[in-house]
Order: sequence, then structure tokens, then C-alpha cells
Amino acid sequence: MTTATDERAGSSATTPGVRLQRWLRRHGWTIGVWLLLLAFILWYATLIPAFGEFQIASIARNSLPTVYLALAQSVVVIAGGIDLGIGALMVLANSASARLMEDQGFAMTLAIAVGVVLGAALLNALVGLLIAVSEIPDVVVTLGMLFVYSGLALLVLPSPGGGTSPGLRFLFTGSETGVGTNYWMPILMLALPTALLAWWMTRSRRGLSLYAIGSDLGAAYLSGVSIRRAKVVSYAVAGGFAGLAGIALTTLANSGDPRFINALNALLASLAAVVLGGIVLGGGVGSVVGAVAAGIILFTLNPILTAMGIDPNTTQVVRGVLIVLVMMVAGLLEWRRRRAE
Amino acid sequence: MPRQKPSVWWLLAMLAAIAMVVAACAEDEEDAVDDEVEDEPVDDVDEDDPDEEEPDEEAAEEAEGDFVIGVSNTLVGNQWREQMVCSIQAESLASGMVSDVVLANRDTDASGQIADIEGLIGQGVDAIIVNPHDRTALDDVIAAADEQGIIVISVDQAVTAEQAYNVTNDQVAYGELGGRWLFEQIDGEGNVAYMRGGDGAPADQDRDEGFRAALEEFPDVEIVSEVFTGWDPSTGASQALDIITTEDVDGIWTSGIDYPVVEQFEAADEDFVPVVGADNNGFIEQLIELADDGLTGAVVTNPPPVGGVATAIAIDLLAGREDHPQDTVLTPEVYDNIDDMAALEDLYLPDLPQGFVATMEFEGYTTYTQEQVLECEGP
Repeated sequence: MTTATDERAGSSATTPGVRLQRWLRRHGWTIGVWLLLLAFILWYATLIPAFGEFQIASIARNSLPTVYLALAQSVVVIAGGIDLGIGALMVLANSASARLMEDQGFAMTLAIAVGVVLGAALLNALVGLLIAVSEIPDVVVTLGMLFVYSGLALLVLPSPGGGTSPGLRFLFTGSETGVGTNYWMPILMLALPTALLAWWMTRSRRGLSLYAIGSDLGAAYLSGVSIRRAKVVSYAVAGGFAGLAGIALTTLANSGDPRFINALNALLASLAAVVLGGIVLGGGVGSVVGAVAAGIILFTLNPILTAMGIDPNTTQVVRGVLIVLVMMVAGLLEWRRRRAE
Repeated sequence: MPRQKPSVWWLLAMLAAIAMVVAACAEDEEDAVDDEVEDEPVDDVDEDDPDEEEPDEEAAEEAEGDFVIGVSNTLVGNQWREQMVCSIQAESLASGMVSDVVLANRDTDASGQIADIEGLIGQGVDAIIVNPHDRTALDDVIAAADEQGIIVISVDQAVTAEQAYNVTNDQVAYGELGGRWLFEQIDGEGNVAYMRGGDGAPADQDRDEGFRAALEEFPDVEIVSEVFTGWDPSTGASQALDIITTEDVDGIWTSGIDYPVVEQFEAADEDFVPVVGADNNGFIEQLIELADDGLTGAVVTNPPPVGGVATAIAIDLLAGREDHPQDTVLTPEVYDNIDDMAALEDLYLPDLPQGFVATMEFEGYTTYTQEQVLECEGP
């Protein structure tokens, strides 16, 4: 079931037809989620009077934090873990960056951004190390970290505030004020990290080792994969992306917000995106590219449900039902496919 | 590798099971949603389409009244906020000038509120009423709305954006008026418990400023206990029980967590001391019914109809009927159960729950009936 094995089988396929079939089968879910996103955006376009650059830019930049966090969670889940502290780490990065970046120039804020991302990676790497060495389940350790990170965020920034530079806002949102119609920058900021991560996960030794330990610890060990190192790497990469999500939040609102509820909302969104994106909880299966589309879908639901005039109190129900329905349909398709084989 | 399969199967089976349970529970909900989609706002919004590009002409054309009002609120499940939103719905309906109210109503943070307001701009609303999560974070998105000719009114708390109108209750006066009533009630000397609201909230800071200003005029009054209730009734109740049973207090000022405090006097079987609270239905009931048992107290109003007032102002501005100042500050009223018993009895709503805020209208601005607020149905 590992991508690594499939990869080799695919390259030795005989006819182009068979190759296409295999490719479709392997990436079917990812393609499906992207089609679903496309359908959602088209649907949204029919719901509002004028759909244009402003809406595309709005969706692209406001999805950034959810997407980065979905990528972070994907890496950990593919490697067989789960990170409940990831949302709180984002809030910590958001609080710290907003406090440090206030009234600073572009160069300084960029340096702080790099520092925060690396710092978050390092912090979460320590969490990975703790899990790998102690062999305490991921859920337990990261649940603890949820509270540790949240507490740290409140220590760094006791109440909402702070700021950043117009230049850094442009880098993430395509506009120095955070509002506008330039959608190229946010789309680039969505695509570039995703492409890099997807390439690394499926083409590099280290990335493939994450699939290996998520798929079968014993087999991975016998094939010479350092399980400890792979675990630490998965948490470090996730930490880096959580840091990036925090910076994106800072540039969107031009402030930081340390409250616990933000950490919880972000965590739940990241888990929903991972599941919807076709990454199997338990590890070894799925693509980070699917989680990106799922992250954008989760954001796009807000304006869609508002545009439909749905009672706000039923919005949450609709959101939950949608996730479960998609999973049910996917599960049914998977079942039929397996039976056909 | 075959060992992997069962775990995937397991997951799918579990998800399917959960899905069926949830789907069964939510079936009615979904049907309701489908119905709403079919006959609700989609068509209305489409009709506005041609107007979209020239916002200035739009106002003139729609003077007859076909305005769309957007609402952005970031705290859900709070009685005061619910009533604020309902007063917007009621005023929109009563005015006959509004064709639709679009609600962006969810628990979120400043960046989420910015995204929500962008969504409202995209829907081609004529005015946006926002209860801001943050004083400064919305500046740029409000400027963007203003560029599109959309009127933005901030209610409850003011924002720093210069394009926005602000309709707020005067929270400094709220703290000062209630504080002064209490200090005069205990003849300018004694021990007072100071039960504040949410730590760091702008409204709490403003009330504190007013309270301290009143306190300065009474040098012999001492604050013996200062706590943050977080505007949570159960937190306030346990703090009040602590204060009543361990401190010797002559009066209690509360930031709106009032009826749970009075209940603690009854629970602890202690004699009442003067209590200052807000216009919560339960507190008004206590002031009326327990007056003979020795309870004195004062209600300081903090009316949720700021939403309705903002709606009325938005409609005036859109229709070009009347100009309004950039800031509208509504001064609270003080009613005690010594001199103003008639006013309290007038406010009291016997059929409604304790937490309901009794001030439902605002004279000179709102035109709806109380029933319309309770129904909470927009146009």
C-alpha cells in the first residue's frame, strides 16, 4: 500500500492505457477533491451578483492559514501520528510574530518570519523526539502540547494586538493593506509550499521514509529506515508549516490573537482537511495535495453558507454533515472498487 | 502489506457508521436547508446585479427601498448579541425599505471577521453593520467597503476606521452612573465589592474608567474585593458567594452579572446589600419582588437595540433622508427600586427568561414592535 511500492510498479507498466488507469486509481481521491473545490467555487459564483478578482483573491488569501495547517497535519498523519498541538502552535507563532513585528520594517519582519518558522519547527521537533524516545502515544503528548503552546501564546501576547509591515502583508496577501484584487501573490503562496512539500514527500528518501513508518513500522525498520529520525522529521516539518500559518494570520489581520478558542478551531479544521483530503488516519496513505483543496473547501463554505442565507445556527451542522457525506461517498466508491478487483 | 487492509476497512466502516447516525439525526435539518435555498435570497440578489457597478446611482434608484443589509458578528450563543441581531432584523422589516438581511454570524477571530466582511462586499450589500472583534484590525477592509460605496456602521464598540459610523452605548457613563448611585446609597462610606466583566475587553476597560472616576469623589469608599466574572453567570455566582460569606461588604457593583449575585444572598441566608446591575429581566424581577424583603438596587441599561438604531441610521443614509453624525453615543439610563419602581415594572417582561435584556426599543430611532424583535424574522 505504500506509495513507494506503487511508484515502482507504475514505472514498469507496459501500455500507456494501463499506466493512465493506475495513475487515476492512485490519485483518484486527490483529483476528486480538487473537482469538488472547483464545483464549490462555481456554485459560489452563481450565488453572488458579481464574481471576479476580488472574490478569488479573498478566497486565496483567507485560505492560507487553514491550508498551511492542513499541510502540517498531513505530514504527521501520513507518518502514522496525529498532532493535537498544531493549532496552538499556529496561535503561538501568530502571537509571537505579531508582537515582534509591530512597527518594524520589511527586512526585519521577513527575518522575524523566518525565525518564527524555524523556531516553530524546532519546538515541534522536540515534541517528535519526546514521542519517539518515550514511546508515549502521539495523542497524549500532543494533547499536552496543546495547553503548553496556548499558555505560551498568552504569555507572549496577553491580549489581541501587535502588527506587521506592509511589505510582508503584500508577500502573503498580494496587497499592502491586506484587502484587494491581486490574487497572484496568495495563489503563489499557496502553490509554492505545496509543490515543494509534495515533491519532497514523494521523491526524496526522507519524505518516503515518512510514508514507510506510517504504513508499517516493522517493515520500515527491516528496510533500514530510522524510525526515530523519521518521526522527529515529520513533527519538525509540521511545526514549520504551523509557524507559516501563524505568520499568514498575522499578515491577514495585521495583529495577533492568543485566545485558546482559535487554537481549537484551527486544530479541528486541520483534522477535517486531512480526512476530507483523502489522508487515512493511521498513516501511510494519501497526498498532501488533496489536503490543500480540502483546506480551501473548508474556508469557502463560510461565504457560501452566508450567501445562501442559511440560519447561522445550522451552519455548523451543514458543515459537519458535508464532511461525513463526502467520506461516505468515498468509502462506498472504495468498497465497490475493491469488490470489483 | 495485506495486513494494512483491515485497518483501512475499519476506518471506512466506522466512518460509514458515524455518517449514518449523523445523517439520520440531521435529515430534517438538511431538508429545511434545501427549502430555504430554493425560495430565498438568490433571486433577490440577482435582481440587483445591474446596479452593482455604480454605487452612487444605486442609492438614488433604490430610494423606494430595496436595500440589502449585511451583518457581521463574531460571538454566537450570547443572549445580548442575539437580541442585537434580532433588533437589526426587526428594524429592517419594520422600515419596509430593506429587501434582505445577510447574516455572517459565527464564532471567529479578527482575520475571520475580515474574510466575512469581504464576503458581504462580494454579495453587493448596501450597508454593513458590524460588531467589531477588534478596534483596529478592520480598518483596511472597512476602507475597501467604503470604496465600493457601502456604508459601514460599527455597533457596540467603536472602530478606528475613519469611514465607519459608530453606534455605541456609552460604557464610561455606564460605569460612572452605576458607581455613583451605589456610593450615594451607602452614604459615601463603606466597603464595596467590584465585580467586573471580561478582562481586557474594551467595554470592561471603559466601564472601569467611569467607575474609578465616580470613586474619586467618594474618598471613604473602599474596594475590598475586585474580581473578573468574564460575564459568565456561574463564575459570577460562585465569586459572589465567596464575597458575601467572607467579606463584610456594604454594596456590590456588577458589570451585568446581577441576578446570580442576588440569588447568592438568598442561598447564604444573608441580609441584602445594595446591588448595581444591568437591565436583565431576572434582576428587574428581583428588584420588584424582593423590595419588601430589603433588597435595594439599580438597573443601568445597556440596550442591545444599538443594532436596530444602526439599521435605522443606515436606512436614513442610504435613502438620503437625513444626515447623521459619525458617532452616535447612547447614554444609559439608571432606574432604582426606590424612586423608579414604575419604570422597572414597565421594563419587566414576565414571560421571558432571566437572561433576556429588557430594553428592547430605543425611542427616536427604532420603529419596530417588541413582538417583531421576539420573532426575529427579517424581510
